[in-house]
Amino acid sequence: MIPLRRRSLFAGLVAGAAATQRAAAAETVHVGVSGPLTGPNAQYGAQWKDAFDLALAEVNPTAQRQIQYVFEDSQSDPRQSVAIAQKFANDQRIVMELGDFSSPASMAASPIYQRAKLVQFGFTNSHPDFTKGGDYMWSNSISQAEEQPGLADFAIAGLGKRRLGVIHLNTDWGVTSKNLFAAAAKEKGAEVTAAEGFLPGERDFRSTLVRIRDSNPDCIVLLAYYADAATIVRQIRTLGLPQAIVAVSSVYSPKLLELGGEAVNGVHVITTFFPDEPRPEVQRFVAAFRAKYNREPDTFNATAYDTMILASTLVNQYGATRAAVREGLAKVRGVPSVVFGTMQFDPNTRRVEGARYKRLVVKDGRFTLWS
Amino acid sequence: MSGAWFDYTVNGFVIGNIYALLAVGLALIYGVANLVNFAHGSVYVVGAYTGWAAITYLDTPLPVTLLCVIAVSALVGVGIERIGLRPLHGSSRIAPLLATIGIALVLDQVLQLLFTPDPRAVPMQVPEWRVAIGGGTIGALDLLIAGIGMISAVVLYSFLRFTKLGWAVRATAQDSDAAQQMGVDVNRVNMAVFAIASALSGVSGVLVGMYYNQISTAMSFEATLKGIVALIIGGLGNVPGAIAGSLILGLTESYGIALFGTSYRNLFAFVLLIAMLVWRPNGLFAARRSLPPEPMTGTFIARSRPVAVPRWAVAAMIAVAALLPLLDQPYLLQIGANSLMYAMLALSLTLVAGTVGQVSLGHAALLAIGGYASGLLAMDAGWPVALAIPAAGLVTAALGTLLVFPAFRLTGHYVSIATLGIGEIVALVILNWTGLTRGAIGLGGIPPLEVFGIDLGSVEGTYWLCLAVLVLLALLQLRLLRSHLGRTWRAIRDDPVAARSYGVSGDRYKALAFGFGGFAAGISGAITAHAYSYINHETFGASISILALTMVILGGLGNVLGAVLGATLLIALPEAFRFLAEYRILIYGIVLLLLIRFRPQGLMGTV
Repeated sequence: MIPLRRRSLFAGLVAGAAATQRAAAAETVHVGVSGPLTGPNAQYGAQWKDAFDLALAEVNPTAQRQIQYVFEDSQSDPRQSVAIAQKFANDQRIVMELGDFSSPASMAASPIYQRAKLVQFGFTNSHPDFTKGGDYMWSNSISQAEEQPGLADFAIAGLGKRRLGVIHLNTDWGVTSKNLFAAAAKEKGAEVTAAEGFLPGERDFRSTLVRIRDSNPDCIVLLAYYADAATIVRQIRTLGLPQAIVAVSSVYSPKLLELGGEAVNGVHVITTFFPDEPRPEVQRFVAAFRAKYNREPDTFNATAYDTMILASTLVNQYGATRAAVREGLAKVRGVPSVVFGTMQFDPNTRRVEGARYKRLVVKDGRFTLWS
Repeated sequence: MSGAWFDYTVNGFVIGNIYALLAVGLALIYGVANLVNFAHGSVYVVGAYTGWAAITYLDTPLPVTLLCVIAVSALVGVGIERIGLRPLHGSSRIAPLLATIGIALVLDQVLQLLFTPDPRAVPMQVPEWRVAIGGGTIGALDLLIAGIGMISAVVLYSFLRFTKLGWAVRATAQDSDAAQQMGVDVNRVNMAVFAIASALSGVSGVLVGMYYNQISTAMSFEATLKGIVALIIGGLGNVPGAIAGSLILGLTESYGIALFGTSYRNLFAFVLLIAMLVWRPNGLFAARRSLPPEPMTGTFIARSRPVAVPRWAVAAMIAVAALLPLLDQPYLLQIGANSLMYAMLALSLTLVAGTVGQVSLGHAALLAIGGYASGLLAMDAGWPVALAIPAAGLVTAALGTLLVFPAFRLTGHYVSIATLGIGEIVALVILNWTGLTRGAIGLGGIPPLEVFGIDLGSVEGTYWLCLAVLVLLALLQLRLLRSHLGRTWRAIRDDPVAARSYGVSGDRYKALAFGFGGFAAGISGAITAHAYSYINHETFGASISILALTMVILGGLGNVLGAVLGATLLIALPEAFRFLAEYRILIYGIVLLLLIRFRPQGLMGTV
């Protein structure tokens, strides 16, 4: 069990301050974070902070320019994210902004960041229109245009399934994913027998599953987050459906095993982040995370960690101004990344391509590589 | 296919079963205290976490776990009665309802701070055998939940019918003043009822947590909402009816999924709610079809003398507000612009809720209609923004009035619940009408604010535009309130029967109020949409409706200046509390509770 814990907003600042004492000549650079610390999405903001603190503890001590982040709680609510955007835009110390979590909150703030010529780096914003908000909107969120064909390939070529029943989250992310998945599946010669969209917070999927069952699929595809996926898989089992289950990378999380229990054995997942992967970036991240927090990291932690490493790289290589960060994003190559191996941006889409997908299956309550 | 229908029916009963545990407690509280307890879902979460903590840290077996949960939840229930109900006796009828909303906010935040928002697994303590039924299975826990629901309903029913304390409870429910005169200790009765109902809610929380193997601090609002819908179907205050209502709700959702798909589930639930309110407001099982004459008529809103503000002071305030951009503080100005947008919404609500007495809990739907109307007119029909915004106001006025028209014959709590349902229906229609609204993907790239070629997208521009629109709307509303129309509205609020006997048709005047209110709210939503550039069905959620209502209460119901002040304070306070980080919403909830407790008529007084 995870022990009760509480950390103050200033953990990041304190870590930064301690580092400053070690390297007296270093200069401090501020990065703004707009994200949920309270409200229904607060768990994600808490995960970000863990990963940010870890990344900064790693890079700051040796860096010429040391990053401090200023985390403002938006509750992932557009009313508050726009106020925060003005606050950051007007705070000349801030050279780059990270977040927000949800699309409505992030994209409502985009016009303000664009006007202020301050990079808004939305690392969870897979909405296809996010980076179209302007040339200051960048993202290293995994592109669903890339992920969904990979997922379809896993189900169709990997597991040899032809009739796919899809359950997806009925949000901008879920609907985009579902459409891309359906297109990819069709191209690969398979059929989507049903596509059921559920609302965040729903817990009862029994009737949804009857609909899926009656469309007669040979595989159930989950486009959801881990907490919902755990609930869905448990109900698939209690209804006694025998189909194989394939899930998108946001389902990969140690929490899936905790919340799903025995029911999630046999679930197939693709993921960009897998702690047992031997790559040195991954191993260093996982070992450090375990040592600091005494639990397993997940994809949200990994993405947030990557993002803070990127921020540090940018200010150290290209300079600590808003313009330098914007220029740097277009130029930077080969930033070490847990998710991508190395990160570079396409200056036209302002996104990263080339995420590395691993195929996993849950066996005896553990994620293992599928072969 | 008949096999599938059998499965849908079983599934409907299974989920209805879970709603029943919530609805029974809500029914009991309503039956006695005449209060829809919005903190009920939060107590359910308290129960879930108490159970989790007991099992995890103390390794308790099931009976001990349940005892712990009952003890803690009952204690919380007593606290709610002590804070949210008793001290508010004699103030407006809306005050306890708002207090329960404030308590829910505080409880949710405390839990989140204690346990982190991360979802947790609750170890299963019930044998995991299952029996096959139709194409699926049901387990021991399903039966246990059904058993607890049934037994508690039977026990409560006999308690109310056959025991002395039960008689006292019913007497209190019928007329608490008379009961008090007959020697019933009303406070003790209320306290007992809150303890029982909350214990039941807590038990359902831990059982449902085991059922789904998952609890999180975010599950309280959904639980409250479903419980209330089930309660209405069964009839407010009717305990056995609540169980039947829950099962009917479960079946409706299940058949809705069967016929149209998962994304229509809640739409069906809320349409059923509205249908019930319109045709059988006393619930399915009541003999009477008309609503009982509510003792709350005329006292729903606290009377007070509004604070008199001289004209020169108002003019000075407008002048100061207009000069604010000269300070060159963009953050402050953005908060100002947000406040002004919300002030328009508050103007609308203070008219509808304060002046006409229709307390709406679904006002955010008007923002959504206005935002989508303006966004779509500008993007798809190519209208200039300066035309799209007022057009959106008119669309919202028409659509909004049409939507609440069925609810006009309702009064008191029923209006609040009906508007809550209508608000949810609007959001769900936006989500599902993909062809028009682009569904969950939302409207992106909405053109920025501009008037006849002048770009108002900067924070100063947005602020000045909002200020100008707000001043116009406010002056217009003040003018209306002083005319005979304003007097008629207040007459309908204070005594609808007397108004009718003087030949005033309530419905038409209510429609006028909703029309004007809809226009103001629609404009607010439209400006918001152009300022944000992106909106989707979540942008104007249920929490905004509740926020708008607290603004209006805080300012003083019906008070135009109060609405503006309330909006400014409630937008500015969470920003001012930023240094409190995770604690700021908790502090905000406490401030809200204190305000309701010590100044229920609002800062500026009701009109």
